[in-house]
Amino acid sequence: MTWEMLLGASVAAATLRLAAPIALAALGGVVTERSGVTNIALEASMLVGAFFGIVAADRTRNIWIALGVALLAGILLATLHAYASITLRSDQIVSGMALNILALGLTTYLDYQMYGTTGTPADLPGLPDVQLGFLKGVPYIGEAIGSQNSMVWLMGLLVVALQLFLFRTVGGLRLRAVGEHPRAAETVGIDVRRIRYAAVLASGALAALGGAYLSLGVAHSFTDGMTGGRGFIGLAAMIFGRWTPVGALAASLVFGYGNALSTSLQGATLGDVRVPVQLLGTLPYVLTILAVAGFVGRSRPPAADGIPYETEGHA
Amino acid sequence: MTQIQQPTTTGPGIERPAPSVRQLTFQWAGGPAIPVLSVVIALIIGAIFVLFSGNDPVAAYAALVQGAFGTPYDITETIVSAIPLVLTGLAVAIAFRTGLFNIGAQGQLLVGALAAGWAGSQFAELPGLVLMPIVILFGIGGGAVYGGIVGLLKAVRGVNEVITTIMLNYTIVFVMHWLLQAGPMTAKNAFGTPASTPIGAGARLPVIIPNELVLFSRLHAGVVLAAIAVVVFWFILWRTPLGYRLRAVGLGARAAAQAGIDPAHHMVLVMAIAGGFAGLGGMIEVSGVFGRVYDGFSSSYGFDAIAVALLGKNSPLGIVFAALLFGAFVHGGAYMQSHAGISSNLVAIIQAFVLFVIAAEALVRSLTRRRGRKPVEAIA
Repeated sequence: MTWEMLLGASVAAATLRLAAPIALAALGGVVTERSGVTNIALEASMLVGAFFGIVAADRTRNIWIALGVALLAGILLATLHAYASITLRSDQIVSGMALNILALGLTTYLDYQMYGTTGTPADLPGLPDVQLGFLKGVPYIGEAIGSQNSMVWLMGLLVVALQLFLFRTVGGLRLRAVGEHPRAAETVGIDVRRIRYAAVLASGALAALGGAYLSLGVAHSFTDGMTGGRGFIGLAAMIFGRWTPVGALAASLVFGYGNALSTSLQGATLGDVRVPVQLLGTLPYVLTILAVAGFVGRSRPPAADGIPYETEGHA
Repeated sequence: MTQIQQPTTTGPGIERPAPSVRQLTFQWAGGPAIPVLSVVIALIIGAIFVLFSGNDPVAAYAALVQGAFGTPYDITETIVSAIPLVLTGLAVAIAFRTGLFNIGAQGQLLVGALAAGWAGSQFAELPGLVLMPIVILFGIGGGAVYGGIVGLLKAVRGVNEVITTIMLNYTIVFVMHWLLQAGPMTAKNAFGTPASTPIGAGARLPVIIPNELVLFSRLHAGVVLAAIAVVVFWFILWRTPLGYRLRAVGLGARAAAQAGIDPAHHMVLVMAIAGGFAGLGGMIEVSGVFGRVYDGFSSSYGFDAIAVALLGKNSPLGIVFAALLFGAFVHGGAYMQSHAGISSNLVAIIQAFVLFVIAAEALVRSLTRRRGRKPVEAIA
């Protein structure tokens, strides 16, 4: 094992690359849970975003239409969750789980019906990388961020934008009020349902961006279940990051690093013992459990998180 | 709507007294109307999907039924498919009854399978009378430990069990890759799919249908173990003080705590019991079907199990019926894919909508009968 394997510029670049989809899902989690709705269907939004983005790229050959379709798919899926959990006041975990199963089944089903066993076409357009030529000669940083995908940068922008929105604007204050004390928020004239709907839909869009990044940005193809639990890891990052966008990004970087290590440490040896490649795959998941177990006691979710709200008038 | 935090645990999203399918399922004890209706709605939605992908839904469902029940052999195969679903369904249901959402039945089943497969090959020479109980205990024990971790993390650190179970599901998949591809359990000369060394003859569950009755039937004695597990599930929950306490925690952790029942303690216990059921399911698959552990031999039992438990209203008989239905989906789905050209993943779509309709229970209720609105306090 060498320092290069642990901290090299290529590891830093991979960390950013692998953290981006997790961070996008985590941002979705922050927005929806701050409004008081638990959405474990982020994984589902990611998956449909990834799949329908590819389908649109295949049909239209236009990457921006593909991205739009991916967003739409994620939002539509989130709408189902919003309807179940806000309007019908269903159990949000069961609804979210149903949607996760639906998304996996639906995308696998359609993938088989549309592309059979050959897989999606190989010549699909992808989301462009951002080449920062002026960083070319700069050691380390040049390799780490000089040629990242546009979605990585978009993710960074969204982190800043959402942090400002949540904590520096009236809209953000309203969103948080709805998640902390919906009755009080309603008393001062805030439409609780509307804000919750908006937040859940936004979370679907953010997760779908993460999914689109995986399929349109990285793989340029779709494989069944390709999100591999990143939506769930995003939720863990949200908890670890204490329900703030910046915290969620920091946590996502930790998970991205775990992911990057599982690649860079392949073939590494500890003393004389070869680190088994397969076991490295457990790193992001084990890290998630450890992080949540270590930090969860010290962070507090929004008070009304996961609790359906019924207006006074309905009683 | 005052939300009072329960004193014994801390952490997000777990101890809030949210209105829940987990509790509402008790109210469905009136009859199978809602589960049946949810299946019918899901089948209709599934048909729409088939129609939209340019296929004939009638042909699809005909192939599904034909594949599941067409011959005596298919019926026994449907039962073989249902057995692990019964066990994982019990694993999800007993956790539900205690107010926990066990999404980890999948991982617990795999750990049980690995533990049983290890013991079965390690002590392969032992006679069946000795080896079989050992293998069963390893299966149950492996699952119980893996489930118990979840309960422990929740009780001690307040970690949401939904997160832990999902992470542990992924973790065991990679551990399994290692164990079976390049680790201590890897068979020396396994061709194709990586697998463990075969278990001893004494660890095999015998086929219980003679060849003269149904040719090549694989229906094994695991069906007896599954039946015993269903009885044990019923007995624990409704005939022991422990079961009473578990259900009390599920109905209201705060009230239970007031009555001197420690919810944290029972969380660990119930997750271990749940893992034990799932682990037994894994052991049965290894001992009854495969004779060794194949890498990635089960992919969707965990998710199916949630649908089984909820559709079966977390009740022993309900779970058996729901598992048989999904067992029929699993076995018939393969036939549907090969004969009607419709991906067996249609089954997953149907299952998802079964769950979604159950989750959207208010919707179903308003479809079945008009009922007075409950006071806010009962919900909030």
